Amino acid sequence: MNDTRQRIALLSKALDLLTDRPIKVMEVCGTHTVSIFRQGLRSLLPPSLKLVSGPGCPVCVTDQGEIDAAVSLAGINGVTVATYGDMLRVPGSGSSLMNERARGRDVRIVTSADQALEIARNEKTRLIVFVAVGFETTAPSTASVILDAHRDRISNFTVLDLHKAVPPALEALASDADIDLDALLLPGHVSVILGLSPYGFLPERYGIACAVAGFEAEEIMLGLVEVARQIKEGRPRVASLYGQAVRAEGNPFARSLVDRVFEPGDSSWRGLGEIPLSGYALREEYSSMDALKRLDISIRRTPPPDGCSCGEVLRGVMTPRECPLFGNLCNPSHPVGPCMVSGEGSCAAHFRFSAGGDDPWKR
Amino acid sequence: MCLAIPHRILRLFDDKRALASAGPVETEIRVDLVPGLEIGDVVLVHAGFAIERLLEEHGQEIEALWEEVRRMAGTGHE
Amino acid sequence: METLSIGHGAGGRLTEELVSLILGRFPGNPVADREDCAVLPGGIAVTIDGYTVTPLAFEGGDIGSLCICGSANDLSVRGAKPLYIALGVIVEEGFPFEDLARFMTSAGEVCRALGIELVTGDTKVVPRGQADGLFLTTCAIGKTGAHPGLGTRNISPGDVILLTSPPGMHGATIAASRYGLKVNGLSSDCAALWPMLETLLPLEGLKCMRDCTRGGLGTVLCEWAESAKVGIEIDETLIPWDEASISVCDLLGLDPLHMAGEGCAAVVVSPEEAEAALELAKNHPLGKRASIIGSVTEEHPGYVGIHTASGGTRLVDKPVGEELPRIC
Repeated sequence: MNDTRQRIALLSKALDLLTDRPIKVMEVCGTHTVSIFRQGLRSLLPPSLKLVSGPGCPVCVTDQGEIDAAVSLAGINGVTVATYGDMLRVPGSGSSLMNERARGRDVRIVTSADQALEIARNEKTRLIVFVAVGFETTAPSTASVILDAHRDRISNFTVLDLHKAVPPALEALASDADIDLDALLLPGHVSVILGLSPYGFLPERYGIACAVAGFEAEEIMLGLVEVARQIKEGRPRVASLYGQAVRAEGNPFARSLVDRVFEPGDSSWRGLGEIPLSGYALREEYSSMDALKRLDISIRRTPPPDGCSCGEVLRGVMTPRECPLFGNLCNPSHPVGPCMVSGEGSCAAHFRFSAGGDDPWKR
Repeated sequence: MCLAIPHRILRLFDDKRALASAGPVETEIRVDLVPGLEIGDVVLVHAGFAIERLLEEHGQEIEALWEEVRRMAGTGHE
Repeated sequence: METLSIGHGAGGRLTEELVSLILGRFPGNPVADREDCAVLPGGIAVTIDGYTVTPLAFEGGDIGSLCICGSANDLSVRGAKPLYIALGVIVEEGFPFEDLARFMTSAGEVCRALGIELVTGDTKVVPRGQADGLFLTTCAIGKTGAHPGLGTRNISPGDVILLTSPPGMHGATIAASRYGLKVNGLSSDCAALWPMLETLLPLEGLKCMRDCTRGGLGTVLCEWAESAKVGIEIDETLIPWDEASISVCDLLGLDPLHMAGEGCAAVVVSPEEAEAALELAKNHPLGKRASIIGSVTEEHPGYVGIHTASGGTRLVDKPVGEELPRIC
């Protein structure tokens, strides 16, 4: 048996000893979700610990109407849509960016906002729409290239700004009596930017145990041990277990760039609905880079697909397996909702890697 | 929600760009979100941008927690 | 109107749908066994494959070497020695002669090394914009020998899974080049497997072989589990990972079990002869990192499980479509 397996086994045993009553823990972050599944950690958890996936997949929570807007933008002559690979498969109400690309629209995958700006610098005759998704971790990079484009007067660079803020969504979850969370595994990389103080209200007002954790199997298991201990001792707080990367104050410089470019605005989350001040709206000074204004497209609210329970899944009140569509009508080849589309969506993860618990073989 | 991988800074091109390596992979990254980076620093890179300098130590909380896990579940040593 | 997407060509679940659509329109139940090549009466083995790759030349190979190795490997994994090849060349107007000559030289070199004869071919030049530079199609013909019946149906519980080399190296190389990563020590594993696999053929316990191309090792194992109605369990720590390929996958958020190799075979062998097979593979330069990675089980038929480095267990699935880089 190798060293890692020994250490994980030790953590698993500790976790078992610490959970003497049923507890419900939400891993907020989609990267945690994938890491937990990919490492098969669910098969190592005590049965009394129920792990539910939260709204921390930026692709999953991007509203259907927002995808429709991206699709509409891709259909305009002369427009090049540049976005992260994650976004391509997400279905809007009628199409996806992947479909639009198959139909010959100019949709390109970038791995950085910087590459999107580079396309604008190199192809002056195209109007570039960078579809910017992501949370606090990603928003600073978008802010930085917007400042670059502004300074260098790159007039063919625009942004479809879909960035979202995590703490308001956590507040919405914490205050929802249906969800009834005991603990949160907080997102490591969002916390790199935010620091720890934005989470203080969770233990203070809602009595929720919290740990900021890294993404290795061992770090995730430690995070779970930490929240289980807090629950057992009846002393919820925000523990920081990702000390290599997360400073208590976060990255204030990155936040200052975000503040220069964006201001808090309301935002609509798939599954959670409209959450006040949970979005990053472009400030007036940079509104010429707002793709929606520039191309006169608006975001329309559309109803979710029939029978789709992604909303309940994203709030942790339903497990993917409890959704009547799971596995038959909705699967990775033919996803109905976003949680089945995104690689880090919890439904896709459950389908691909099994829901596990005690039986990883069950699909 | 956000993949981020540690990279070591190999060369600083200007105040915005650097060459960095993650294992055998060398890529150009943006460094303007973390002021004052130097060659040799290890940074966490998300979507092509360094978002923070990584420290070598894991921090006290982790050490203390491991202590307790070993006391609780282990045999006293690994 | 529903249209084909790039994912239909990626070797996963969408590809299965595309293949079913085509097969369903032919009389009988052609190529029902879905093996890498067909074995006709008399032990004649035939396969056909189209090659489109961007970029056309990559570290460790090019479209020329790929089009011969790929089709020859499809024969080799069924125990058939590659003998003849037919080549179709579709080239876009404006394509440099020099490049075409270079790719044909590398194709010719692989043929020479394997003793394969080019017996017929076709060339088409299409107007600019109607092909991405160069498309090649090869039909390879071979003859089975010692082990004419290699195939999925031989797989049974207790058998052992051997992997001849690190998985996913070709896919990682292409992804790195496509997304602008410079990777020291990364190269495609593009190679003809026949000289190594030939040495395994005398083993009576040899059941089935498959090269882990499109869709990767994960897809091969899932297809085996599904068609042989068995379970498969592998151990992550026993897979001979290539460090550079793993780094690329980590960076781009890709799954190494879904990345293609072009010189990597999975082999099913009876437990009695597992060590002998490993020894034989390791004796050949292509198999020096060969490893026994798991076994076939009676439990959980149709599913592939992996015991992870953390000691947990999870399922392995086929990719759905094209593997896209992700930031989350």
